[in-house]
Amino acid sequence: MKIVHYRNKCIGCNACVEIASSFWRISKKDGKADLINSIRKNNDIFVLEINELDLEANLIAERDCPMNIIKIEK
Amino acid sequence: MLNKVEIMSPAGSFESLMSAIKAGADSIYFGVEQLNMRSRSANFSLKDLNKIIKICKSNNIKSYLTLNTIIYDHDITLMKKICNKAKKADVSAVIVSDVAVMQYARSINIEVHSSTQLNISNIDAVKFYSKFSDVIVLARELTLKQIKFICDEIKKQNIKGPNGKLLKIEIFCHGALCVAISGKCYMSLATYNASANRGACLQNCRRSYKVIDEETNDELVINNKYIMSPKDLCTIQFLDKIIDSGVSVLKIEGRGKPPDYVYTVTKCYKEAVESINNNSYSKDKINFWLKELETVYNRGFWHGGYYLGKKLGEWSGVYGSKATKKKQGIGKVINYYAKNNVAEIFLESGILSKNNELLITGPTTGISKIKLDKIIINNNEVDFARKDDKICIKVNEKVRRNDKVYLVIDKK
Repeated sequence: MKIVHYRNKCIGCNACVEIASSFWRISKKDGKADLINSIRKNNDIFVLEINELDLEANLIAERDCPMNIIKIEK
Repeated sequence: MLNKVEIMSPAGSFESLMSAIKAGADSIYFGVEQLNMRSRSANFSLKDLNKIIKICKSNNIKSYLTLNTIIYDHDITLMKKICNKAKKADVSAVIVSDVAVMQYARSINIEVHSSTQLNISNIDAVKFYSKFSDVIVLARELTLKQIKFICDEIKKQNIKGPNGKLLKIEIFCHGALCVAISGKCYMSLATYNASANRGACLQNCRRSYKVIDEETNDELVINNKYIMSPKDLCTIQFLDKIIDSGVSVLKIEGRGKPPDYVYTVTKCYKEAVESINNNSYSKDKINFWLKELETVYNRGFWHGGYYLGKKLGEWSGVYGSKATKKKQGIGKVINYYAKNNVAEIFLESGILSKNNELLITGPTTGISKIKLDKIIINNNEVDFARKDDKICIKVNEKVRRNDKVYLVIDKK
């Protein structure tokens, strides 16, 4: 399973960082969230493979992202 | 004495920016990246900043950058970066609410305007913010009497901003009103984690609601399901009184609104200010402007807003716009022939006929309104054109390839 992050629309609210700080951090460069260790698929989309143990926190991050730009694909 | 009042228009896109300029705006306000109150919708990127300010300068209007969200520690780097770039590009001022931005902008000598997000509502608060700001945007919820008091006191107490001039007061003259005092609504945050104060408001206040008794499951019959959605502010019918109160800047709400809204609203208010200045402000003109204002996005008008007192029952009653006209996208410009002022248009949908009203919008064109008196296909004049036709029409001014073409229809 994987997390897909459509980064461009991020408003830097910090919700994902608060919920799952080992996966998310705010970029010092532009104030938007970075999905740590993710692979850039194109300009805007970042993907990170995760396992079952990582799921719970990231599902909450997905739910609480105000811009709906975090998607968990199983 | 003529009171030189500035009309400030919203620019959420290059189309809106150019429309505001065409309509005669004295200044525009815009946001870049996410630290402004329209982070969800209309926005420019940091890369656009130089171009926007350059366009404003070459058209001799002022440019104001909104940087007015709540700022967290992790935003400080970006906030400074935006301020530095704005300073370099020579922006006229930044509109701010967080004191961190206020302090930083002043430290690098950018003019600061206090945002309506601060809901400044009394002269002592005005005096406090005058240490940083040259213009104060008052809360939308004041009455005209309260506004006049503040303007009079500024003169009386000789309150000056950092630029050494008498402090200027700015108020909203047209556009959306919030059910809460600006900057103090947590509805969208509490329900969707989408903070209005980070520019991500989901506007759930605009929807219709039912009141249900949980015990019996009975629904309470109420005559207004839109219990949290106020109508839009409109002040054109008493703009003379507003100007008399001593305000210097009239701001039009709507960075998320389309270019036709920006053009029409700016033009009406600009004409109204000019009419007041040359003593030709009249009932007939007001009625004309009101009709014009109704053609573009509106939730119905609360004539007077809070300025004329807190009248009850001014709810929108519908979801979305009550505009009397609507736009239907029908195609795009594929060529423009300057010699005879003709545009070639490719129709992607719909049917066009003679006498239709068209709207052409584009990032450089802004907006252009056209009354269709002749449609030419392959050098032949026709009465109708439909999908996949390439038509030639006479235009009033230069339009550009890839400009969007809309058919304007009366909404029944």
